[in-house]
Amino acid sequence: MRRRGWTLAAVVTAALFGVQAMAQEPPAGTEPAGTEVAPPAATLDGATLFMQRTCFACHGKDAKTPILPEYPKLAGQNEAYMVRQIMDIKSGARNNGNTAAMQGILHLVNEDEIKALAAYLATLK
Amino acid sequence: MRNRGIGRLAAATLCGVVALAAPVWAQDAAPKAKGIESEGYQWNQMEGEKVEALTLTGDPKRGEAAYEVCGACHLPNGSGRPDGTFPQLAGQHRTVLIKQIADIRAGRRDNPIMYPFAKTLVDPQELADVAAYIETLPIPPNNGRGPGGDHLKRGEELYKVNCVKCHGPNGEGSMKDFFPVLAGQHYAYLLRQIRDIAGGKRRNANPDMVKLVKDFPDEDLQAVVDYMSRLGWPERTAKPGKQG
Repeated sequence: MRRRGWTLAAVVTAALFGVQAMAQEPPAGTEPAGTEVAPPAATLDGATLFMQRTCFACHGKDAKTPILPEYPKLAGQNEAYMVRQIMDIKSGARNNGNTAAMQGILHLVNEDEIKALAAYLATLK
Repeated sequence: MRNRGIGRLAAATLCGVVALAAPVWAQDAAPKAKGIESEGYQWNQMEGEKVEALTLTGDPKRGEAAYEVCGACHLPNGSGRPDGTFPQLAGQHRTVLIKQIADIRAGRRDNPIMYPFAKTLVDPQELADVAAYIETLPIPPNNGRGPGGDHLKRGEELYKVNCVKCHGPNGEGSMKDFFPVLAGQHYAYLLRQIRDIAGGKRRNANPDMVKLVKDFPDEDLQAVVDYMSRLGWPERTAKPGKQG
């Protein structure tokens, strides 16, 4: 299970940062030289994920100064509640309010990463 | 079994209630301006803060500071994400950037993720500054490309017949005519946009372009966009290893 989580994280990171994210294997020789970029190592560190997966852009670097007043402050929010809300928004089970903005980006995180993010955010004051 | 049936009925009823109630509480943060779905829609009408921002001289230095917030998603070098979640911006014409941001801000291009950022831009001067800065960034050469293969030949033919006139042989677009640079853009982003334009979902689209692509079969959209994702504009594309 643990290993599967890491593999998933690695796949998502590769999809995020890798060149050719959409590509199935391109035929050899069609790519210009110098396009290889090594993806950063997968992480389950909530603080890193919060920056890397662009959460902070809307929720604020301190997780409590959102860009719109109607966006939630996340610092110190209940961990289980956050996991539940994010998973529900990701699956479409929750589809109201400002979820349209979240739904466009939640493919950037998997369940393990969501749990890591919620655990980190819950510790913030 | 019986219970499940009742559950379903309850769920269906609830859905009905939710559907009725939805307009009340599922309000968009963004306003809605008239777009391509409206009668008398005129593409790129010269009005409002867009005109002001276009007339002002943008200061790339001030724009660099304003860009910090953009860099959270579009990254400091403007490259966006190869998976197409966020578009590549570096080297884009300032006119295009100003028009798109003004349209998102006015609610003519629906983009709930981008909207709050467009909204919080202070004034037309800041819009001009940030657009001027983004335009100076070299286009990263390592964008996300399509799957490649046999359809590239078809894509090239389609591009030369339909797209080259406005977007240019290198995907350089036109600053004067507000036609975007395509060179260096991510395949997934291009595909999403062209599908939205063809399907009428991108409400600030150019009707000439809608007319051109609306009857394209999806395989053709994929082919032409794959070809586009391989375009390079030597004048603005960074040399490999030297990108900002």
